[in-house]
Amino acid sequence: MNENIKHQGRIAQTGIYLGKLFRLFVFQSDWKVLPMSAVIAALVSLVVAQNLNKTMEGTLMGAFAISCICIWNGCFNSIQSVCRERSIVKREHRAGLHMTAYVAANMIYQAVVCLAQSVITIQMMKLSKVAFPGISYVTGNPALDMLITIFLIHYSADILSLFVSSVVRSTTTAMTVMPFILIFQLIFSGGFFSLSEKVMPVTNATVSKWGLTALCSEGNYNDLPMVSLWNSLFAMKDTEIEGVKPYEIMIERTKDISDEDIDDLVEGGMLSQEDAAEIRKYREEDPDYAGELFLRAKVMQKTAESNYKPQYVSTRENIIKCWTMMAMFALIFGILSVVALEFIDKDKR
Amino acid sequence: MLYRLASEVTVDDVYSSVGFIEGILSLGFILKLFLDIIFDLIGRWHLFKKFGEKGWKALIPFYNDYRLSVFADREPDGRVLMFADISAELLSYIAPLFIREDTNRLVSIIVNAVSMVLVIISMVYTIRVCLGLCQVFGRSKKWVIGWVFFNSVCLMIWGLSKKFVPAPKEEVIVKAAEESGLEAKEDDNCLSINLRERSAVDFFKKKTLLRDVHLNIPKGHMVLLLGGSGAGKTTFLNAVTGYEQADADILMNGGNVYKDYESMKYDIGFVPQGDLMRGNDTVGMTVADAALLRVPSSVSTAERKKKVGEVLDIFGLSPVSTSLVDKLSGGQRKRLSIAMEYISDPTLFILDEPDSGLDGVVARGLFEKLRLIADKGKIVIVITHTPDRVIDLFDDVIVLAKDAERTGRLAFYGSVQDGLDFFGKTSMEGILVSINREEEGGEGRADEFVEKYAVYAKERMGGPAA
Repeated sequence: MNENIKHQGRIAQTGIYLGKLFRLFVFQSDWKVLPMSAVIAALVSLVVAQNLNKTMEGTLMGAFAISCICIWNGCFNSIQSVCRERSIVKREHRAGLHMTAYVAANMIYQAVVCLAQSVITIQMMKLSKVAFPGISYVTGNPALDMLITIFLIHYSADILSLFVSSVVRSTTTAMTVMPFILIFQLIFSGGFFSLSEKVMPVTNATVSKWGLTALCSEGNYNDLPMVSLWNSLFAMKDTEIEGVKPYEIMIERTKDISDEDIDDLVEGGMLSQEDAAEIRKYREEDPDYAGELFLRAKVMQKTAESNYKPQYVSTRENIIKCWTMMAMFALIFGILSVVALEFIDKDKR
Repeated sequence: MLYRLASEVTVDDVYSSVGFIEGILSLGFILKLFLDIIFDLIGRWHLFKKFGEKGWKALIPFYNDYRLSVFADREPDGRVLMFADISAELLSYIAPLFIREDTNRLVSIIVNAVSMVLVIISMVYTIRVCLGLCQVFGRSKKWVIGWVFFNSVCLMIWGLSKKFVPAPKEEVIVKAAEESGLEAKEDDNCLSINLRERSAVDFFKKKTLLRDVHLNIPKGHMVLLLGGSGAGKTTFLNAVTGYEQADADILMNGGNVYKDYESMKYDIGFVPQGDLMRGNDTVGMTVADAALLRVPSSVSTAERKKKVGEVLDIFGLSPVSTSLVDKLSGGQRKRLSIAMEYISDPTLFILDEPDSGLDGVVARGLFEKLRLIADKGKIVIVITHTPDRVIDLFDDVIVLAKDAERTGRLAFYGSVQDGLDFFGKTSMEGILVSINREEEGGEGRADEFVEKYAVYAKERMGGPAA
């Protein structure tokens, strides 16, 4: 027996499995995740296109919806990838397969799939006329910033599912566990559902929180108007309470609009130059019309101010922090997958 | 009159009477709780005694339910039940620490959901254990309703009533065959196996799966591994390959498989029972990848490719090398599975039921290939459930049998003809019949042959060597 005989190391084995995974992508049904992501992105774009990156509510809802589809896609990519071939992996481990190589190959392969899905999602959003942020805080290209965020949400959710797939022993169990992962991610995103301060630390452990934060930061959430209150107010235009119309009282109070007030709203982005010109033009001739324009801008400004969320502050540091957290999740779950698979020999026959 | 009386009752009177009723109810509840505990303890104590267990063990919380499941022949269910009950109990202590008035509703919901899940698990597994008890006591399954809703009362009845007697358990003969005292001498031309014991611990209990197996298998021999269900065939093979290590010395080519496992595992080819290959990969790439994984890295790419081509030829897979594995026939898949291991040219080649699902002609073709491999100086060990159709291709037979303690033991190792003579049978199936237990349709003579073989091996070798 020669102890000096060397066999393929981890890097070479990673190459072998990478080749295998890409072959299976073509021959197996794995490629179907790409058209599926296009359909899902189209459906969501249809819903969020109107208000994403335009209003606070629309941005929050849209960012949440995009996070959800990315997590959904990511989870579906890999939830069955290990458990469906667990007995094969066990056999190969017996023949000298290093689990680090196996997981590394899967992680590289999944990164490529997630990147393709992210490009498809961004492209579908563009085709659906979804508004992209006007400013880029990291790369200089707002769409590229968004692509990186969407990729990282896909990828971290994907590797989380890879870990689940490495732990469970059957595809049935994996598919049973998956809804719980999704529900946990959605509830504890920390943005869409109100949670108490005590529960908030839990949100740090979710991909959805960091994805949602990154998307809102990129979309200038805190600088956008909030329209819900104005819409409700406008709907109550003709409503009378004890013989009085509250809407008219509010309009009445906007009779004396000063130039400073108008400039303040224009600077805050709540009033367009055209609307400002209209107010200046009609504040004497048609004070009700000018008052309505002014009131709308003022209400949107005040509600936006009261809904300011420091966690969504649009800075390069905040976005990079979110990206780092998601990348860390992927790395940690990758390592955990290796640890879980090292015990594969303990499986019952 | 009644109306008049009722109209005279004041609000204070009502309050005081409600308080009185509440007091009575509380007292009743405490009394019921007390009686429940007393009934439970007395009933359990006597029930445990009916199973020959010490009564005080019935007082240990959680464990007493687990023991009850053992009596009911539902031990795995008892584990889950114990886990659920302990978890629920712990949660009842931990939950108040989390749930306070100012606690988020979500946390309360999660805690309540977990509690609910544990209660449901506990209920379901209690029913399972109760069904087992009904079976053991030969009682109607309707008793389960009583066990669920009036647990303590049922425990009292089943524990104290002389009409409730568990069915006597099968007498376990604990006198198994003595140790053989054999030892396989190290030989460079053989695979030397000295397996003293292979045991496993399951829920704090040690179980010996296999013991006292000593033999030398010469190179170039094709060996049949024969044994009934649960005799330890796969355990034996896993121990020999070092995959599941035992208290043993496995020597081959001057090395110890256990000590040098990382390097020697490439010299051992193990073909598992199922077709464990990726169905959507091509045949050629499956073998090529197996070669990359198993062949030393010093082998050049050209040499490796040549080797892959040769192996595909040997196993008749060249015409289908571009086909997907899923498209192959059963026989072709088995051959591919063998080719994946053969590619590394191992000294020891082990196959677990390679002919399962194959018809006689295809199976024979497969075994002829294995014979050719053995003729090249390799050791081929095969488990098969239909040995008689290909017995002429084997040199030796290893017979493993379950002894009285249900531990796998070596009942014979030698040439096929010697084996038939030793057992006084004319076929391998006949040998199986003689060593299988009576409840398995056999003659139950395993211990007799284990002891006989120890004497036979010593006489044949002229000493305590196998």
